[in-house]
Amino acid sequence: MTPTEQLYERLRAQKIDFFVSVPCKLLAELIERLEEDPDITYTPVTREEEGLGILAGAYMAGKRPALVMQNSGFGNTINAVCSLLSYFKIPVVFLTSHRGSEGEPVEAQRVMGDAVKPLMAAVAVDCIEVASTAELDRVEEGIARAFETQNPVGFLFPFSFWEGGE
Amino acid sequence: MRRFEATKRVMEAITDELVVCNIGHPAQELFVIRDRPENFYMLGSMGLASSIGLGLAMSQDKKVVVLEGDGAVAMNMGTLATIGLVRPANYLLIIIDNERYGSTGFQPSFTASNLRLDAVAEACGVERVTLIDTEARITPAVERALGANEGPQVMVIKTETGMPDGIGVIPMDGLGIRDRFMRAIGA
Ligand SMILES: Cc1ncc(C[n+]2csc(CCOP(=O)(O)OP(=O)(O)O)c2C)c(N)n1
Repeated sequence: MTPTEQLYERLRAQKIDFFVSVPCKLLAELIERLEEDPDITYTPVTREEEGLGILAGAYMAGKRPALVMQNSGFGNTINAVCSLLSYFKIPVVFLTSHRGSEGEPVEAQRVMGDAVKPLMAAVAVDCIEVASTAELDRVEEGIARAFETQNPVGFLFPFSFWEGGE
Repeated sequence: MRRFEATKRVMEAITDELVVCNIGHPAQELFVIRDRPENFYMLGSMGLASSIGLGLAMSQDKKVVVLEGDGAVAMNMGTLATIGLVRPANYLLIIIDNERYGSTGFQPSFTASNLRLDAVAEACGVERVTLIDTEARITPAVERALGANEGPQVMVIKTETGMPDGIGVIPMDGLGIRDRFMRAIGA
């Protein structure tokens, strides 16, 4: 199984059933999955902040929602993380490809790459790095905790995760 | 007719629909006009009421009515494209267009000059777009829209600026609003 397939299996095991996404090269395979799976609700969105609005509506209607995006997208969500997710206690799972991590070919990605962890910490999003498929238990634990505590969880998947073996 | 009167006329057509309301004075007015468990007062995320309503419409069968402002829609205009893509039948977006940023002192917004939100909605693929500028037409138009269940629908109501005196903050906190709303949905 590819890293994406392994990750997706964990997400479905945790009953994540509503996804929105903004593309990233590293997420191409995952997004194909979302487009093809008849058992979930999925739409692309124009901007990550808009995505959080949609996911908040889905959560209040009983879904377990996730936002698929690259780390630069986290910068587009800050006000909604505070004034929507934290204020109304709405748990959302951020599935974040980490551009600017070790192995990044595009220098311009470094700045936001370095900023994403402190940003998540600043707005009280539980930040969990998943460096390889061997660490995928963290995803299941983190999701379970998010819905228990009604607090958002942000997973960062660096290049090492996506480039990992079978 | 101001936003207050327009909101009142909209609420006369509402029965058991979920209503999601724009930030600030619009939510405070709705609370005074007709507070009910099926109202979600979105208190902080300017522009996201339409998106929250979209997520609700995609996730359950009740009809969803969103009360938005023109300034808020301008901030999150991309979500009109998503609405036009997803096309939920149970979704009605009502934009109360007072051509102002009302809550912050009625500064002119983009619809006062160059922006036509009904045209934007159409360009985003929403086929049922109505433009209303007389108070008497509001209640029947909303009733008709809700009867059809052929969404997504967008209604732009043109109003004057200003609001009544004595409208104050909503005496509920976020968790209280959310819990009551979620119980009303019954998910
Ligand atoms: C991100 C963000 N920017 C600015 C504000 C300040 N603000 C609150 S309400 C509002 C005006 C909203 O205008 P509109 O949506 O047209 O509704 P109206 O009050 O005119 O009915 C503004 C600018 C805010 N709350 N959040």
